[in-house]
Amino acid sequence: MAQPPLSQRIQRLERELGVRLFERTSRQVRLTEAGALLLTRARELLARSEEFLATAHRIRDGETGLLRAALPPDLSGETVAALLADFDRRHDLAAPELELHELSTAQQLARFASRDLDVGLIHHPCDITGLELGPVLRRDLGVLLPPGAPAADLTEVPLASLTGHDLILFPRTDAPALYDDLLTTCARNGYTPPAVRHAQGASFVRGLVLSAGAVALTPRDTVTAPDLVWRSLAGAPLAWRHSVAWPKGRGSTAVTAFADAATHALRGTAGAAPDVPTRPLHLRPASEYWL
Amino acid sequence: MTDALGRVRAAFAEAGVTGWLHAVDIDTGAQLDAGADQPVCTASVHKLCLLVTLHELADTGDLDLTEQVDCPPLGRTPGPTGLAAMRDPVRMSLRDLAYLMTAVSDNTAADLLLGRVGLDAVNRTTARLGLTRTHAVHTFGELLATLRQDAGPGGARILTDPHVLTRLRALDPARTNRSTPRDMTRLLSAVWRDEACAPEHAAAVRRLLGLQVWPHRLASGFPFDDVHVAGKTGTLPTLRNEVGVVEYPDGGRYAVAVFTRTANPAATLPAADSVIGTTARLAVEALRART
Repeated sequence: MAQPPLSQRIQRLERELGVRLFERTSRQVRLTEAGALLLTRARELLARSEEFLATAHRIRDGETGLLRAALPPDLSGETVAALLADFDRRHDLAAPELELHELSTAQQLARFASRDLDVGLIHHPCDITGLELGPVLRRDLGVLLPPGAPAADLTEVPLASLTGHDLILFPRTDAPALYDDLLTTCARNGYTPPAVRHAQGASFVRGLVLSAGAVALTPRDTVTAPDLVWRSLAGAPLAWRHSVAWPKGRGSTAVTAFADAATHALRGTAGAAPDVPTRPLHLRPASEYWL
Repeated sequence: MTDALGRVRAAFAEAGVTGWLHAVDIDTGAQLDAGADQPVCTASVHKLCLLVTLHELADTGDLDLTEQVDCPPLGRTPGPTGLAAMRDPVRMSLRDLAYLMTAVSDNTAADLLLGRVGLDAVNRTTARLGLTRTHAVHTFGELLATLRQDAGPGGARILTDPHVLTRLRALDPARTNRSTPRDMTRLLSAVWRDEACAPEHAAAVRRLLGLQVWPHRLASGFPFDDVHVAGKTGTLPTLRNEVGVVEYPDGGRYAVAVFTRTANPAATLPAADSVIGTTARLAVEALRART
């Protein structure tokens, strides 16, 4: 700091405190006794303030304090429980408090953008700009059928054999790209449902399957209704593809612990397996780029 | 206008894209801004900057557009159209290369032109026209090379892997050829007002943009025989762009720049292509309703 503004600041401080801090002679400037006493206290205050700011930053970075995490609504109770138990085991040293929310992929992305979420389990495909990802895991989807449906007699159900049944799906706003992708894949495999009914809660879905002859797509591990039939789909054309995600550059030991726990829980309780793109992809001329 | 903005945003969401749009009435300056200053990856839209540069250099006598260029079969910049897709030696003029680059986004033609004028000249031209946020850092061949390096082996299908997408430099405006929607409408306005280069050369640029073949983006929003659409597209994994000018028989002319990013990495997504036309139409109609 330049000399004149520094002298002005000191004088202002002395006026504010009503205490003379320095003795000024023509040749030198010396700390007064009062000044020396206050200096020790001032240093303590500064140290406390720095510690306060550092704690705030650590909380922001998820190293201690709060880890704001989210899971999608379509996990089984076993997976959620396994994840939480495993997270506690992995992280009891730094012991951050876990603030866990049940949020759709779209809600999680919005909260990542507004910095209100530290880590979450998302569904692909979604807009992953600005995110870092854990491994992508795949949970194959099967179909929930009413007991009398002809397809219930098959061990593996081809999607085309669901023709005529309405399809029960989550609301599109939860994960728009996934919603569109599921319907495209159904169409690609010969199943275009006459109507799509939006439902999410297990009992509501069950009611629709039992009474309206509609079918739902769901992984085996989340099936709870004993009076419905679950069958895997021939050729496993449909899957949930999950990964843990967090904002780029904001990983921390707590985030890593959550990511590891989620990956472990999905593999252990939901039969999730690493996802490798296998379908051929033909670029058309309008793509403009070429590999 | 607020209503139009809301409808533009709703259309982007419905199509499963994040989009940024700027539309300007070339004669009144009235505009619609839906993220006009967002930094975006230009991809092949940067061929428009090259096209204008080429004609500016023809203007100043630095090159002759009828100058012949040899294009041997080996070492061509890859691509699905034009010279990039051809097998045999070719010799053609700079202006015919410009036609192929503009009409079918020919990557080989574009890099032959870049080889003649240089990347620096392109950046000088955009800077001279006041496009302060527009910059080219590599040739089209170099751009595609980053795609190949970052994606690794596995062919085009690997581009649907979320982990691969997060590491593509070609999708990061900070590390690839870039601009903003507002810069692009400024460039188009300059071309349509004969301010970018001499009138005869500006007319040549407008003619070539009007010969662009793709009907699925900007043009799809204006299914009217009496409305003229001229533009240049740009495409990379998850990115779909087009910038162009829409001219009505009553003399109304509108520069529109639309840049989008899909959540779904699939290569074939007709809704994501056509939403460029849909939103451009919403914007142009809002601008026309004001007069």
